[in-house]
Amino acid sequence: MTVPIVDLSANAAATLSPYTLFMQADIVVKVVMAGLLLASIWTWAIIIGFGFSLSGIRRKCLKFEQEFWRTDDIDRFFENRGKENLPSARVLQAGITEWRRSTKQKVVDREGARDRISTALSSAVGGEVDLLSDRLNILATVGAVAPFVGLFGTVWGIMRSFTAIAAQQNSSLAVVAPGIAEALFATAIGLFAAIPAVIAYNRFSHAINKVESGLNRFADTFYATLSRELEHS
Amino acid sequence: MERADKIGLGIASAAHVLLFAALSSSWVTPKKITLDTKPIEVSIADAVALQSMAPKLSPEPPPPTPGEVEGPPEQAAPAPAESVAQPEPQPAPPPPPAPTPRPKPVEQPAPKPTPKPVPKKPEPAKPKPAPKAPAKPDTKKPEPARTQAKAPAKPAATPSNAKTASTATAADKGQAARSSGSKLKLDTSDWMKSASRSTSPASKPSEGATAAALGPAQKSALDAEIRRQLKPHWKAPTGADVESLRTIVNVKLARDGSVVGAPEIVDTLGVTASNRTQVRLHQEQAVKAIRLAAPFNLPAQFYSSWQFLQLTFDKRLSQ
Repeated sequence: MTVPIVDLSANAAATLSPYTLFMQADIVVKVVMAGLLLASIWTWAIIIGFGFSLSGIRRKCLKFEQEFWRTDDIDRFFENRGKENLPSARVLQAGITEWRRSTKQKVVDREGARDRISTALSSAVGGEVDLLSDRLNILATVGAVAPFVGLFGTVWGIMRSFTAIAAQQNSSLAVVAPGIAEALFATAIGLFAAIPAVIAYNRFSHAINKVESGLNRFADTFYATLSRELEHS
Repeated sequence: MERADKIGLGIASAAHVLLFAALSSSWVTPKKITLDTKPIEVSIADAVALQSMAPKLSPEPPPPTPGEVEGPPEQAAPAPAESVAQPEPQPAPPPPPAPTPRPKPVEQPAPKPTPKPVPKKPEPAKPKPAPKAPAKPDTKKPEPARTQAKAPAKPAATPSNAKTASTATAADKGQAARSSGSKLKLDTSDWMKSASRSTSPASKPSEGATAAALGPAQKSALDAEIRRQLKPHWKAPTGADVESLRTIVNVKLARDGSVVGAPEIVDTLGVTASNRTQVRLHQEQAVKAIRLAAPFNLPAQFYSSWQFLQLTFDKRLSQ
């Protein structure tokens, strides 16, 4: 009578090593894991890249606006720095372009010019905010969906381990545990991708709100200045 | 894609790879179970582990094997196996009659007694002469004894008269046939009985020395005998999964077969969640079975072989 000894070396793979867990998993769970990993990489690429650029934009806009208010000659300032790749610069550009168009004619329709300038400024601000919050869309999607995708992988994996139990007629932990471990690993990756995405989404939307309000303030003040200029002209 | 996005993508990818590698390497994850030696297949030998005879067996096996091949089973094998005439010679007495024997009456008694002792107690016959003639441990003895005996026996038989010889051989053959025809099981028990019976007088002089020779056949016979005596007293508890329980008990036996001290429970194997509650009962029943079977009736000349017994109680024992 020979007694089969449980191969402990195979069970040693039941450690938490992501590679072994991934390699043991079912093809569906593998696809889920790979997709979630890509989502996580994408999320972090956005967090790092966009985080840097957003803070840079905020800093530069603040500086740009301060310098704009300090200058005496708006036209010269616009000639020098109006082409900068900044939301504030583009808002400024939109306002000045509209101003120049409206005041080109001999007879200036003041009310109409004010309306047009106001509209141009607000639409420029809206465009800039849209541009900035383009990335937030991805973060929001990952943050909302990744846990569900991970959960799907887990459910699938656990279904599979239950099938294994049924096939082997054996409910010992050695049969069940590896399947459940790899299944839960899918949820772990899902949360791993989703948590930073949700945090980043909240922080970035807050930051973009601040940028937007800053731009609005700048646009309003600039509109007030132009409106004043209109009366004088 | 802007430059910042590219940088971000690069950093994120690198960080993920690093994290993956770190988690996969062993310093973050719990240590793996590493086996120094590969797992081996274990085959469980029969339940009772008798004293190992490995070194002493080497001279012994040859005699039993020819006997077994022919049919008559056992231990004493060498003698009865070939031609039953040989064992008679073993006792030195026959030769002396041979020379004297011109008179017929003398002859006839000579062969007659010879066959009888042979089948009856092949085992004791061997040890007996041992101390007498060579005074050496018995292991070596059978060979010379046989050859020696053969030589004188033949001349004795042939000249004296064919009749007696033929009758003797016929009788022997009958005996031999009978013994060889019988089943192994019967044989062993037969031998057990005869051995235990005969040893009481015989073994006393050669107590210590004789125990040495215990071939595989004897061992299994002894094993079977122990099991046979334990079986009626062994009542396994009933319950879920109890079949898989195996309780191993070490017992020290006195020369008269009684248990010395308390049986020591070595371990219970095959414990699962469902039969865990039965383990204590299983062990108690095992000890109880030993106590009930207590004065074991085992051949005294093999005392050293069954002085320390390791008994395994499991489902098989009760079948």
